[in-house]
Amino acid sequence: MKPFDIVIVGGGGAGLYAAMEAMKTNPSLNIAVLSKVYPNRSHTSAAQGGANAALGNKAKDDTVEMHIFDTIKGSDYLADQDAVDVLCSEAPKIIRELENMGTPWSRMEDNTIAQRPFGGAGRPRCCYCSDKTGHTILQTLYEQCLKKGVIFFNEYFALNLSVKGSRSRGLIAMNMKTGNVEAFPARTVILATGGYAKMYWNRSSNAAGNTGDGQAIAYRAGIPMKDMEFVQFHPTGLRKSGLLVTEGARGEGGYLINRNGERFMARYAKEKMELGPRDLVSRSLETEILEGRGFDSPAGKYLHLDLTHLGADLIKSRLPQIREMCMQFEGVDPIDEPIPVRPTAHYSMGGIDTDNFTRTIMEGVYAAGECACVSVHGANRLGGNSLLDILVFGRIAGHTAAEEAGKFEPGNISEAELKEHVEEMRGGMHASGHHERYGELREELGQTLALNVGIFREASLLKRGIQDIAELKERFKKVRVTDTSDVFNTNLMQVLELKNMLDLAETVAAGASAREESRGSHTRIDFPVRDDAKWHKHTLATRVKGNVVLGEKPVTMGRYELQERTY
Amino acid sequence: MTAPTDQHREGKKDVTFRIFRFNPQVDSKPYFDDYTIQVERGITVLRSLNYIKEHIDASISFRAFCQAGICGSCGMRVNGLSQLACTTQVWDVLAKSREPGIIKVEPLRNLPLIKDLIVDMDPLVDKMKHYSNWIDSTMPESSMGKKEFLISEEEFLRYDKATDCILCASCVSECSILRANKEYVSPAVLLKSYRMNVDSRDAIHGERLAELVKDHGVWDCTHCYRCQESCVKSIPIMDAIHGIREDAIELRGMKDTSGSKHAEAFMSDIEKKGKLVEATLPIRTNGIVWTLQNLLPMAVKMIMKRRTPPPPPLVKSAKGIKIFREMFREMTEHVRQDHKSHKK
Repeated sequence: MKPFDIVIVGGGGAGLYAAMEAMKTNPSLNIAVLSKVYPNRSHTSAAQGGANAALGNKAKDDTVEMHIFDTIKGSDYLADQDAVDVLCSEAPKIIRELENMGTPWSRMEDNTIAQRPFGGAGRPRCCYCSDKTGHTILQTLYEQCLKKGVIFFNEYFALNLSVKGSRSRGLIAMNMKTGNVEAFPARTVILATGGYAKMYWNRSSNAAGNTGDGQAIAYRAGIPMKDMEFVQFHPTGLRKSGLLVTEGARGEGGYLINRNGERFMARYAKEKMELGPRDLVSRSLETEILEGRGFDSPAGKYLHLDLTHLGADLIKSRLPQIREMCMQFEGVDPIDEPIPVRPTAHYSMGGIDTDNFTRTIMEGVYAAGECACVSVHGANRLGGNSLLDILVFGRIAGHTAAEEAGKFEPGNISEAELKEHVEEMRGGMHASGHHERYGELREELGQTLALNVGIFREASLLKRGIQDIAELKERFKKVRVTDTSDVFNTNLMQVLELKNMLDLAETVAAGASAREESRGSHTRIDFPVRDDAKWHKHTLATRVKGNVVLGEKPVTMGRYELQERTY
Repeated sequence: MTAPTDQHREGKKDVTFRIFRFNPQVDSKPYFDDYTIQVERGITVLRSLNYIKEHIDASISFRAFCQAGICGSCGMRVNGLSQLACTTQVWDVLAKSREPGIIKVEPLRNLPLIKDLIVDMDPLVDKMKHYSNWIDSTMPESSMGKKEFLISEEEFLRYDKATDCILCASCVSECSILRANKEYVSPAVLLKSYRMNVDSRDAIHGERLAELVKDHGVWDCTHCYRCQESCVKSIPIMDAIHGIREDAIELRGMKDTSGSKHAEAFMSDIEKKGKLVEATLPIRTNGIVWTLQNLLPMAVKMIMKRRTPPPPPLVKSAKGIKIFREMFREMTEHVRQDHKSHKK
């Protein structure tokens, strides 16, 4: 294959924005986007709420500076302040740019882009399109990429970077339609494959494919991961699927109830009750379950989110989507019955360590979006900042790679190297001596993570989690792929995704075990307070000879001094 | 979902999934495999398929991603109807199933089959490109990001519902025109085209419309409404198709296409006689030359079998034509007024 100037891995918001911006920056470049799904299927589509930008359409006195402060405070002061500056300063421009390209934003009475209040924000600055913001942004970007003639390799599963010395020579990927492993020699590679929270499997709100492929590829190539221990949990995921019941349900007056019929939030947040901050409510649900006040079911323990007292009219008019979702996915009509819920993993703050220009430590390799950790979210991400992150840093990645591609030699990947990757990939997985079931390993990984590296963490639990992951990795060596066909072997793809999750799970557990403090989403029962003297720093996890080696990196401070985080 | 043990436990049933199988590498033609599992109330078709794949037969191939009804990956036919596997409850399907306890799962129609339940989406993407399914902004790229277009809530509502489309291709699979003509534009692409056409930021609705009225375009639809009935997001797709047609006739003056002439001929017959004058309909739609070239043999056959419609002078007006004409005038005036306020 002819060498590319830029190969972008991932066709979500970050990847597509990068492609568009790179073409704009230098139209003569040869750019390709690889995605394991059709780009319009990417998980960006699942973001409902919106994207934050201090446009001042709703609150005239909103400013970029306020957005910056809210984000830093929300991060529990672990975000890099110069990166947050970039995120928030670019926000108004990028939202307007999307609008100018055709994104259908909801509108204010004065015909400007509509904005609404969101958690942790001092002003209503979340721009939205009904409850389908991510979907409409993704559609717009995909349409614009089709218009620009971006070259897509759809349903290609990325396997590895081709690395020589300190730099990458391109990417190795499997064409799902043929099963062929193909080389994509490239001057630069942008990794934009989304998050890794699906490693919590049934205890995650994520798409089945959010398996951290980009992070795992980078990690195997020796690029450090940053702040992997920070995984955000949402309080109300559906019991069976982990899908989110949005905060709106509690906003309209829903109660959280345990098996004794108590509104248990009275124990944890007397005043705010069900409307306490997200991490606090998640911790409360988890405590009820751990202390035996949850309901039992084959799908695991759970609690009730009760809306029945709100009446059919209110539920039908204000929460129609939630009602539909409960009926479709849980078989429960919230008008008649309480909704079975439990906390669910839904966002990964950590990711590939990058600078503010999305560069990684490896020459020619960039990362953006949930796949990367700049860091703008620190220990806890604010609602409305994830869509913004993928847009702003996706664009920066496209621009930077386009500007720098000329510096690097065209990649070349030999047949011999390609063969090695194929062998590594297939490694006996079809052999009869291989007996482990991938579905079982995957479910056990989710269980041990939820239990031992979940909302509440503690030294002995984490030790157990680390052991479990090591055992699962050992068992994975004997994993069996029963589907031997080449065409669309989803069995093989899911096994390779599991391998990625296992590699990354190790870094999450190692980071959580090392960080002896509680900050943002990371709660240690044995170290309940934030310890700035020891732990106001990023965690780095690098793979050395197959093992996780932890390092650290200082947090870039700026105008805002460390403060206690209270709301 | 547990191993099949106690059949009588409440809220559990044994269900047989009859799954369409085809692996192009080994199979000369498709076949069905049966898998019987115990399903709990509240389980979706996709979760059942996942269970079968993980526990019984890992070689079954299907697409699934978000599992929450927003990414559109898992479109397939469940008991004959195209829908998303992830939002379809097993118990709902069973309630309507003709064969008790059996759920038949097949790939979408009208797109090339790849393997088992997976079809090729590329033809759909190619059509989106062909019909410019994007906004070509009136604002030059260099000016973007500086200020917003001011857009009324009313305009937003015009395309709000159409932007719900997740390209799951259920409508494509159900479309009766596509079964006969794979080159037909497709309901989803018409919907997207309409969404772009009514957006005031778009600069190319004229060109897009010109493409849409060509062969295999908007006039080929025969109003069977199956696209709309199967839409997983309940989008009124036919409104979009009618919208494009009205736009083509009224606003762009595209009265010279066979589709628009056909529609005009219908209108004029109904207004004058209250019914169709079928004998001359092909001439008025496609012209005398085309009709003689294409329909003469069929006309001769019809005459031989005494199946010819009566010639125009012999077509009597329908009963109660006077009252009907009054209603017709009122209705068309109403539609015209409606349009005026719509376009404002």
